[in-house]
Amino acid sequence: MSIRTKGRSRGGSRSRARGISVWLIAFLVALVATIQIRSQAEVERSLVGVDTASLAFLIDDLHRANDALDAERSDLAQRQATLQSGSSGAADQVLTDEANRLRALEGLVSVHGPGIVMVIDATGLTAVDLQDALNNLAAGGAEAIDVNNKRVVTGIPVEQTRSGVSIDGVLVAPPWTISVIGDANRLAEVAGLMTQQLRADRRVREATYRVQADVVITSTVSQRPFVYALQT
Amino acid sequence: MSRQHLASIALVAVVATATGFVLAGQIKAQLLTSSNQVARYQALVRSVQDLEATNASDRRQIAGLRAQIDALESEAAARSAATQALQNQVTDLRAHAGLIAMHGPGVQVELRNGVPGPDAGSQAGYLVNFQDVQDLVNLLFAQGAEGISVSGRRITPLTAFSGSAGQVVIDQGPPLSSPITILAVGDRNRMQAALEDSTALPDIRARQVQFQLHLTYQGSADLSLPAYDSSLQIPHVHPY
Repeated sequence: MSIRTKGRSRGGSRSRARGISVWLIAFLVALVATIQIRSQAEVERSLVGVDTASLAFLIDDLHRANDALDAERSDLAQRQATLQSGSSGAADQVLTDEANRLRALEGLVSVHGPGIVMVIDATGLTAVDLQDALNNLAAGGAEAIDVNNKRVVTGIPVEQTRSGVSIDGVLVAPPWTISVIGDANRLAEVAGLMTQQLRADRRVREATYRVQADVVITSTVSQRPFVYALQT
Repeated sequence: MSRQHLASIALVAVVATATGFVLAGQIKAQLLTSSNQVARYQALVRSVQDLEATNASDRRQIAGLRAQIDALESEAAARSAATQALQNQVTDLRAHAGLIAMHGPGVQVELRNGVPGPDAGSQAGYLVNFQDVQDLVNLLFAQGAEGISVSGRRITPLTAFSGSAGQVVIDQGPPLSSPITILAVGDRNRMQAALEDSTALPDIRARQVQFQLHLTYQGSADLSLPAYDSSLQIPHVHPY
């Protein structure tokens, strides 16, 4: 009887020990799982769907944007100082310079300056392809653009028609010669990547670019008078 | 419970604890983003926030300077007929460049992200991207818009659109994301007809079906567009 009791006692101790071991292991597994879940939650909270590379690009873009804003602010402050000087003809000079700058910017006059000239010869390229190319150049700092002697500014429609691609209603048949004025180094970098990508496209027969010290753009757009819009 | 049993339980506990720590350390070091990476990420986010604050402050200052310059020009124009004529020309050019706030009849377009598709390869298709915004802006300009703003950013002749999936960058502004609101002042009927045309905006229409991308629009008798508040520098362009 005493032997049986002793045996039960030994068996009970073993099962308790096993039970404690199982609980310990379960506890540690839970600990690991908790650490993992908490770390993932922390990452998810902070990442909010944007990866580090995109953030780095965003920082680069914002630096460039802020530099451009800073330049504009300096230019405006200088203009303001000239106007405040009240010297004879100061206002006329500021207004004349501003008018000339805005006419160039809006594509109303012929312009020239450093830049690049790209040639793309292909079969089957669409308006989307041309718009992509123009987007890349615009984002690369283009200040004036011409395609096959058609001036392009934002708002000038680039459309797909049955006969091909048209700019402002006029057909522009390949090869496309895209003349761009702007920071030649930055534009060359963009054009280099674009031509590399275009050459990999089977539809493209030729994609080249050259940097020019003086690109001349003689094409212009006509200003459309406002019919509906009123100044606030 | 004998000493031997207690010792074995302690041994199991020590081994299991050590295994747990080793596992946790291994997982944290290899599988999870480490706290260093999180810290780096947070530093990048802080940089973006600081740069965006500077960006907003610069744009406010630019708008303020433009208003002051306008007032000084008006003062000068009041003293001379020739200056007045010049100022009128510049005002017209500024209006076309988007440098002056405008209002008038038009359409309000709203573009919202859809829902992700089951196919992982086409996940970005449900997000509004910069090409969508550009397609809409081009369509509206082609159909009689005289001025357009995108989520409060005025479009100019120099406007450049860029961005990655879900983010739309316009000129020097911070990135915009869904919902994007486009206001266009101009020929309201023509613009509405163009938006109703099922053959227009083929990519957006296809994604409306595939990802439930939201495109809604309505006409309005009077919409207000802000003036452009960023840089319009063209340092490399010279009139011929």
